[in-house]
Amino acid sequence: MAANFWTSTHYKQLLDPEEVDVVQPADKEKGITVEDFKLIKMHMATYIWRLAPQVKVRQRVVATAITYMRRVYTRKSMSEYDPRLVAPTCLYLASKAEESTVQAKLLVFYSKKIPSDEKYRFDIKDILEMEMKILEALNYYLVVFHPYRSLAQFLQDAGQSDLTQFTWGLVNDTYKMDLILIHPPHLIALACIYIASVFKDRDTTAWFEELRVDMNVVKNISMEILDFYENHRMITEERISAAFNKLALKP
Amino acid sequence: MGDGNGRGMANPNSSKHGNRPEWLQQYDLIGKIGEGTYGLVFLARIKAPSPNRGKFIAIKKFKQSKDGDGVSPTAIREIMLLREISHENVVKLVNVHINHADMSLYLAFDYAEHDLYEIIRHHRDKAGGQPINPYTVKSLLWQLLNGLNYLHSNWIIHRDLKPSNILVMGEGEEQGVVKIADFGLARIYQAPLKPLYENGVVVTIWYRAPELLLGAKHYTSAVDMWAVGCIFAELITLKPLFQGQEVKATQNPFQLDQLDKIFKVLGHPTLDKWPTLVNLPHWQQDVQHIQRRKYETNGIGSVVPLPPKSPAFDLLSRMLEYDPRKRVTAAQALEHEYFRNEPLPGRNALVPNTGDRVNYPTRPVDTSTDIEGTTSLQPSQPPSGNAVAGNMQGAHHPMGNRGVPRMPVVGMPRMPGPGIAAYGLASQAGMGGGMNPSGIPMQRGMSAQAQQQQSRRKDPGLLPAYPTQQKSRRF
Repeated sequence: MAANFWTSTHYKQLLDPEEVDVVQPADKEKGITVEDFKLIKMHMATYIWRLAPQVKVRQRVVATAITYMRRVYTRKSMSEYDPRLVAPTCLYLASKAEESTVQAKLLVFYSKKIPSDEKYRFDIKDILEMEMKILEALNYYLVVFHPYRSLAQFLQDAGQSDLTQFTWGLVNDTYKMDLILIHPPHLIALACIYIASVFKDRDTTAWFEELRVDMNVVKNISMEILDFYENHRMITEERISAAFNKLALKP
Repeated sequence: MGDGNGRGMANPNSSKHGNRPEWLQQYDLIGKIGEGTYGLVFLARIKAPSPNRGKFIAIKKFKQSKDGDGVSPTAIREIMLLREISHENVVKLVNVHINHADMSLYLAFDYAEHDLYEIIRHHRDKAGGQPINPYTVKSLLWQLLNGLNYLHSNWIIHRDLKPSNILVMGEGEEQGVVKIADFGLARIYQAPLKPLYENGVVVTIWYRAPELLLGAKHYTSAVDMWAVGCIFAELITLKPLFQGQEVKATQNPFQLDQLDKIFKVLGHPTLDKWPTLVNLPHWQQDVQHIQRRKYETNGIGSVVPLPPKSPAFDLLSRMLEYDPRKRVTAAQALEHEYFRNEPLPGRNALVPNTGDRVNYPTRPVDTSTDIEGTTSLQPSQPPSGNAVAGNMQGAHHPMGNRGVPRMPVVGMPRMPGPGIAAYGLASQAGMGGGMNPSGIPMQRGMSAQAQQQQSRRKDPGLLPAYPTQQKSRRF
């Protein structure tokens, strides 16, 4: 399992994009669109990235936390599972799963230090209650694979280890999207290397050919990532607030 | 849970029937079978109309952590690993339940009637030192290694193997099948694992590998193999192989007495045989006690009655190899000559082909929680280590030593209790149940000596007997 992605529950749970982009009925009633849905998830992923250094956890924990959050919203509505509570709670649960437990009180303390509005303030009790709800929503599947490890191995194999920092950043950014729910992590890593090769003008064609992976999939993932960067510029605070305002509507 | 479609994942809302969670209605609760620092373990039976009706289930209830930190990391580890893995020789997690009202978490496992702790104890204390049948020893060991090989090949180290964590299935289709349990300390070793003591976690020292005792910075799967060696020897001699006295109240992994016990049997480790010894902190630091002390090398043959040239002796020696890099792996051990010689290991470890089976006692059940209790005294059995997952101290009670009736050891039918009406009472097991007048879990067939053994087991700090069961596990 830990050694073999193909027998893991992570692999068995991979979804089609159409399954991921489903707005839950309760949210739909409030006028939440697929765009709003993606925006809120992206915003909360960013929030987790900001909270993590405060409580001193590694990127891996962050990546697991964001994956948990994204999995939760394939099954649960944002109306019922407030993203502003789900996000820190996922970080809390991920810290336990990744053997670097953060105390709930620390998380509550530091979440108050991050500039954000009152709606992001929670008590320890809220976190602990939500932890159990999240465990349940995840159907108790907690092992998550990430692109980081294969990324390092691939770069070394390709003789492109100097691209580590650049590609690592790309991988981090993929967590602002739902790719981890859809594609095997090693393909996400390859997509990031592919993008880096193009940007940094490295000839990795022969190396990719030897890998015997479906290059169409790798290129498609790369296109998705590039599309995301393109669209990302259009995202404003106003759009995010508007999405959250819809969520706050009484049905 | 396990089937992925949510069947059995009962809605955990609990408010409709007082404190009794709705999911509990799928079970008949029979009684308490264990207790530990993490919580309690109950025996239950699946009700109709489930296709699995009548099946016995052990439900491990995790207490809410006192320090206000939610689900314990032990429970998280156990759920996380057991949700991924599936093997005949690994305990099966059949369900997870949550009671949101009191924030408690329940893991439901296939119930195993026996464990190696109780099997060994039965032979030592009740069967007059009659050794365990060689077929049974070999089959238990083979299955233990088979499960461990699966775990190790999936990069999981158990880290807390001991007889009470090795379960054996009772009567039924899986009779005599070994199940490795208690994954509360198990870890996936993607990255090097730091020793447990750095988390302030205390595990029993008797089965602890010498490299850990000498302060090795990281775990490898070889630590599990050392524990298997100790268990193998114990199956043969019915006595723990290295019964060191634990030095408590220290974060230091250095346990001089435990090392002393090992060295006395296996001789002093040498740099010649174990080159990386020189890197181990306590080898370097405690020159006086560790390096200078001289031991007469009697060898493992002096304590384990095996012919020196026998395959069993060879396998045991390879498991107790000092250098973790030279220690036999689970995969290698499975290929060992010992398992290719008669008697060949079998799936039902408890019933040899020769037919001379031993009737091992069933697990003690404290049914005093059952308020619908009916007639006779409900005899309980002696506290056992562990129904599902180790680290329990058996159902016990402060007054447990009083009025203990001697009851027949075997043939005691398990009473399928009607289930308790208020689940909340379960946590007060032994506190004035209906059918047990004195309200104590009675321990049947227990000699005074066994009683003492039990009490010793709870406080190894005073007596050199069984180590405490994770009394001070902290997070």
